[in-house]
Amino acid sequence: MEALIHLKEVKTYFPHEKTALGKIVSWVKAVDNVTLDIFRGECLGLVGESGCGKSTLGRTILRLAPLSSGSIIFGGEEIGHLPFKALQPYRPRMQMVFQDPRASLNPRMKIVEILKEALHICPQIDKREHFERATQLLDMVDMRPEYLFRYPHEFSGGQQQRICIARALATQPDFLVFDEATSALDVSVQAQIINLMAMLRGKLGLTYLFISHDLSILEQVCTRVAVMYAGDIVEIRDAASLFKTPGHPYTKALRDALPIADPARRHELGTLQGEVPKLTHPPPGCKFHPRCSYATDICAEQQPAVAFSEPGSWVRCHHHEELWKKRVLH
Amino acid sequence: MQMTKEAKKIEPILRVQDLKVSFNSARGRVKVLEGVDFELYPGEILALVGETGCGKSVTAKTALNLIPQARPYLRGHVYFQGQDLTALPNQALVSIWGKRISMIFQNPQASINPVFTLGEQMFRLIKMFLPEEIKSIQQQSGIGAKTAVRQIATEKLKEVGLMETERLLNSYAFEISGGMAQRYKIALALLSSPEILIADEATSSLDVTVQAHILKLLKKMCRLKGTAILFITHDLGIAAQICDRIAVMYAGRIVEIAETAEIFVNPLHPYTKGLLGAVPQLGMQKQLTSIPGLIPDLSNPPEGCRFHPRCESAGDLCRREKPAYRYAGASHTVACDGPKRSDSL
Repeated sequence: MEALIHLKEVKTYFPHEKTALGKIVSWVKAVDNVTLDIFRGECLGLVGESGCGKSTLGRTILRLAPLSSGSIIFGGEEIGHLPFKALQPYRPRMQMVFQDPRASLNPRMKIVEILKEALHICPQIDKREHFERATQLLDMVDMRPEYLFRYPHEFSGGQQQRICIARALATQPDFLVFDEATSALDVSVQAQIINLMAMLRGKLGLTYLFISHDLSILEQVCTRVAVMYAGDIVEIRDAASLFKTPGHPYTKALRDALPIADPARRHELGTLQGEVPKLTHPPPGCKFHPRCSYATDICAEQQPAVAFSEPGSWVRCHHHEELWKKRVLH
Repeated sequence: MQMTKEAKKIEPILRVQDLKVSFNSARGRVKVLEGVDFELYPGEILALVGETGCGKSVTAKTALNLIPQARPYLRGHVYFQGQDLTALPNQALVSIWGKRISMIFQNPQASINPVFTLGEQMFRLIKMFLPEEIKSIQQQSGIGAKTAVRQIATEKLKEVGLMETERLLNSYAFEISGGMAQRYKIALALLSSPEILIADEATSSLDVTVQAHILKLLKKMCRLKGTAILFITHDLGIAAQICDRIAVMYAGRIVEIAETAEIFVNPLHPYTKGLLGAVPQLGMQKQLTSIPGLIPDLSNPPEGCRFHPRCESAGDLCRREKPAYRYAGASHTVACDGPKRSDSL
C-alpha cells in the first residue's frame, strides 16, 4: 500500500505560560510525537476523548495548526516546513469539512458564490467553466441545481453539510479531513451523509481522515482506526477487528463505555477511573498509566515502544503481548 | 422487564394527556406539540427519543408548566398525583419544582450559577429541603447548624461518587470538569428525594467514558430512591442500555411507545423502523438506511399523520386523518393506521 501522507514525529505545541519578559515556560502538548501513515484511498478514523488532540492533528496535517517539529510528507513531498507562499499549490489538494455546517458557510453568500470561491484557488480550471463546475458539484452531493441561488440558511443541517462537502470537493482534492462532520446531525441525516461520503470516496478515489468520538460510526465507515490519548496515538488497526479485539487497555475502555443500540446486547457499562490528563503536564512514561488497571512500575517510568503486528497496525503498550495472549481485553 | 409489568398495576406517577402547545413566531403559529400522551410509572426509566425539533424538551418543560409564554396556548392535562399541573398557579408549582420533580440539563456547567461557590448553592437547597435532617443531626451530635449542613452536603456529594468534597464545595462552576459538574447537579436534583427526575440530554455533551459513569450513577440512584426518570435523549444506544421503556417522538407526537426489548425487536411505526435502520451499532456492519425527506415545518405541518410525506406505506387515510393510538401488545402502543402495509417494509 502506498502512503499518501506520512507523518514522522509530528509535534504541535501551543504556548501556555509566559514569564513577564515573554519567555514561554510551559507548553500545551496537543500533538506529541505522532508517527503515522495514511494510505492512498483509505478512510482512516481518529477517535479519542475531547481534548486529546485529534482535531489539532487533523489541522496540523493540513498545515492549519503550527507544526512545532517533525515532518509531514504529502504525496512524496515534504510540506511540513514550507513557508506560506510555497504551500499554496498544495492547498487545493487537501480540504476539510467541519462539525457545524451552519457556522462554516458564509451567510451572506449564495451557494453558487460559495462554490465559486473555492474554485478561485484552482488555476487549472477556467473561470468560464466555474458555473458549470458548481452545478456538477451540487449534483455530486445529490442536490438540485436550482439550489445554487439560495442562501445557506434556507437549508437544513444535512443539506448544509452536503454543501460543505461539495465545496471541499470543488478543488479536486486527494485528501479530505472530516472533523466531527456528522456529530451535529440527527441519526437519520447522519446516515445519509455517511452513505454519501462512502460513495464519493469510491467514485473519486479520495483519501479520508475521519475524526470522531463515536466508535460505532468509525467502525461503520472507516477502513482503519487510530485511537488517540493525550496527544499520542496508542493503537491503530483495521476497523473491523479493532473494537472486537482491542490491543490497548484504553481502546477497551472506550469500547466498554459505549452504550450499544441493541437491548439484546445490554452490558454493564465499563467505567474508567480518573480524569483526562492535562496536556501541559502529561504523566511520565505511558500517559495512560494513572488510569490503567493493568499498569505496573515500568509504565510509570518508560514510554512504551511501538509493537507492530502487521503493516499499518500497531499498539503502544508495555504489556501488550501478555494481555494479547491471555485475551484479557477481548 | 419484571418491574414494568408490576408497575402496570400501580397508578402512574405522571400522566400526560393530549398535551398540545403552540408558539407564536414570525411565520405564524408553530404547533410544536400535537397531542402528547404518556404515563410515567414510579421507579421506571422512560426514554423519550426523537430527532432535533420533534418536541422532546418542550414536552418535559410544558408538562412542568415551566414555559410561561406557552401557558395561554397550553391544552390537555398533566396529572401529577391527582393534581393537574397545567391548571396550578405559580405558588403551588414552586412547591413541586425542584422538590418533587427535578430536572438536569445538557450543559451542566451552564446550569450552575457562576457567581456562587458550589457549596453556597448546595447549602441553600439543603436548608430549604432538609430542615428536619439538619435538626436531627444537630440534636444527635450537638453541632451548629452550619456544620450540620456541611456534613449533609459532604455526604450527598460522596453518594454520587465525588471525592475531595471540601475543595469542591469551595470551587466555582468553571473550576470543575463537565463530568464532575453533572454529578454535582445530580446530587442537587436528588437532594429532596423527588418522585420524578427529568434528564434532558443529560449526557450528550460528555465523553463516552464520563457518560458511562453518569448513566450508571443515574440508574443506581433512581433504583435506590425509587425515583422515576424521564430520560430525554437522541441516542438510541443510551435508551437501549439503561431504559425500561422507550417512547419515540416525531413532530410533536409520540408515535410509538413500548418496552425497550420490544421496540428494538418488533418496531411497528415506519418512523421507528427508519430510526433503527439509521443507527450504526458497534460490532455489526450493516448498510445504514436513511429516512427520505425532511422534518416537517411545524408552522405548516402536513395534514393527517405528520409522518406521511416521508412514509413509504402511506395510504389515503394517512393523508386525511390523524392516526389513533392502537394497542399492539400489553405495553406496546403505536400511532399508525397502516400496520399491515408497514409490516411488509
